Amino acid sequence: MTETEEVPVKALTGRRAELKHAYTLYKQNPVVVAGSIIAVGSIVLALLSNVIVNPNIWQVEQLGQRLCWNNPTFSWPVTNVFDCPGATYPLGTDSWGRNVLQMIILALPLDMEISLTIVVSATLIGVALGSFAAYVGGKVDEAILRVTDIFFALPALVLAIVVMTILGRTIMNLTIAVLIPWWPIYVRLIRSQVLSEKERPYVEALRSTGASPVRILFLHILPNTIYPVIVQMTLDIGNVILTFSALMFLGFSPNPLLPELGNLVTEGISYVFTAPWLIVFPGLTILIVVLGFNLLGDGVRDVLDPRLRR
Amino acid sequence: MKLYEYALRRMFLLIFVLFAISLIVFYMARGALPPEYSLAPYITPKMTDAQKLQLAQSLRVATASCPSYQAFSSHDPQCVAPLWGQYVIWLGLIAQGNWGYSQLPGLAGTARTWDVFTGRFPFTAQLAIGGSIVTFLIAFPMGIISATRNNKLPDHASRIAALVGYSLPIYWFGYMLQIVFVLYLAVGGKGLFQGSGALATECVICFSSPGSINTFTGMPILDSVLSGNLPYFWDSLLSTVLPIIALSLATLSSLTRIVRSSMMEALRQDYVLLARSKGLRERVVVYRHALRNAMLPAITVSGVIFSTLLGGVVLTETVFAYPGIGQAIVSASLVVDINFLELYVLVIASILVITNLCVDMIYAVLDPRIRY
Repeated sequence: MTETEEVPVKALTGRRAELKHAYTLYKQNPVVVAGSIIAVGSIVLALLSNVIVNPNIWQVEQLGQRLCWNNPTFSWPVTNVFDCPGATYPLGTDSWGRNVLQMIILALPLDMEISLTIVVSATLIGVALGSFAAYVGGKVDEAILRVTDIFFALPALVLAIVVMTILGRTIMNLTIAVLIPWWPIYVRLIRSQVLSEKERPYVEALRSTGASPVRILFLHILPNTIYPVIVQMTLDIGNVILTFSALMFLGFSPNPLLPELGNLVTEGISYVFTAPWLIVFPGLTILIVVLGFNLLGDGVRDVLDPRLRR
Repeated sequence: MKLYEYALRRMFLLIFVLFAISLIVFYMARGALPPEYSLAPYITPKMTDAQKLQLAQSLRVATASCPSYQAFSSHDPQCVAPLWGQYVIWLGLIAQGNWGYSQLPGLAGTARTWDVFTGRFPFTAQLAIGGSIVTFLIAFPMGIISATRNNKLPDHASRIAALVGYSLPIYWFGYMLQIVFVLYLAVGGKGLFQGSGALATECVICFSSPGSINTFTGMPILDSVLSGNLPYFWDSLLSTVLPIIALSLATLSSLTRIVRSSMMEALRQDYVLLARSKGLRERVVVYRHALRNAMLPAITVSGVIFSTLLGGVVLTETVFAYPGIGQAIVSASLVVDINFLELYVLVIASILVITNLCVDMIYAVLDPRIRY
């Protein structure tokens, strides 16, 4: 009788097991997979946009092709739609004669870049201040909380409008204007996380071994509290795009010709009922990109649920 | 600490926040902008240069040693005055209700800022209150249905709808609503609803000349009811429907998600199992027992929801040409009307802090575990 030999199988332990488990959960959720495809796709399209589309076309007026639509698959119930000379424009042309599809592709890198800048800066500032406030406690904590109260007393868009009024219309000022109402959210988020984590036994153990507060905070507490921040960051990429494209739409952009999704909607305001494609397609792009990041954020939240940890 | 002591502490916080905001906005605005902007709200059209200089000196915008108005407007260094003096004078003026003259396009120097603001504010209040009512009225049933029929079709449909609603740009959705209801659903050239404006007179189902009303509150919907003018009520209601839908979709979606998750959390608790095993009807279990506990996170978040609504009002009024303060603040910021900006910021901040205070009070009343 042959004896079966037991082949030792090396099991995955620790973080590798967590990540594999997380990946399995991720694959099982079709909605999250769709969201991540959209999000990654928009980032890739943004990176490749200067290759796909000539980046100089947004400054040039092509008067012969103003406000025309010649996509045969769909027709609008409006009168006086001009037929475009030459090639087929899939999404029509705008009032300066530029191809709307090319404008949208050119607008993506600017939007993604500004959004990522704002989210990363807000996270860095918020996490630094919030964890400091929570760990130190006392008057410092109280003071930082009161400062965030001031920022929470106004809606984000209103505060951004006030800052833009005072600073003037440039991209840098737009970034600062949206950053200012955004960082207090991260302060509150990380503060509540660190407050509850601070009471854990391992922190007391670390303190009794003589570890410095900075070491405890950055090497031990923060890695355990970072998951909600990552979820919030992913969701905020979409929300920040919504906010600063709203600011651009309201008229705070430095150049009305600038290819940016909110700015493209502004161009279409005077033509709502005569050339609706000017508004429909840029807005649809914002919707799809933000939806992708929101789906991704929801998926990240589901996958990084604390019950997976230990 | 008793509840009223907590409320008192929060009111002191309100005063602190208002002072801090007014100081920050004042210093930012008047520090970064040339001094003509600080003087502009107080100038009437017929003032001579000497009168303007005198006004500037009494407001401490220019120093007492400033030789002429030309020196002041060309930013002569001996005319530049410190900001703290200006702030004190400005505080005194607004304590008397003097916010200067509005700089909005078409109104420069003729209408008072306070009058322009109070004339427009009821329209915005109408939108914000309507938006809140719609948000709460639709989000709670949708969230409850989603939670009780978990992972079935209504749940998936409402989750996807909520996600899409949460990701929409408000201004784009406003224009889409206009395109659908005015361009597509059109009869004889007129759309089903009116596209823009505060009174609907150009649509299929509205009255073209609804008459007039007496102004009691400034809000057309309330005033038309109080004046007994039914066609006006119908028309103002029709013109408010599309803006309120556009405004409340985002907040409605996020509230639905929160209600859904908190209901699912509540339905997992042991007391629900006990209630069901006692033989109580499902409706009693859901509404009498689970919902009361699930409402608490939703109430906590309603302060943030109202803040989002007030921010969205700016976009909605611009899209639908609604004559409220949201639209006015956009023109005020393009013209840089400092006083209007400061008035707007202070009013919005007070509304939000008071709303958050009321929300916390309601939460403390509803949740017996909270004791201040």
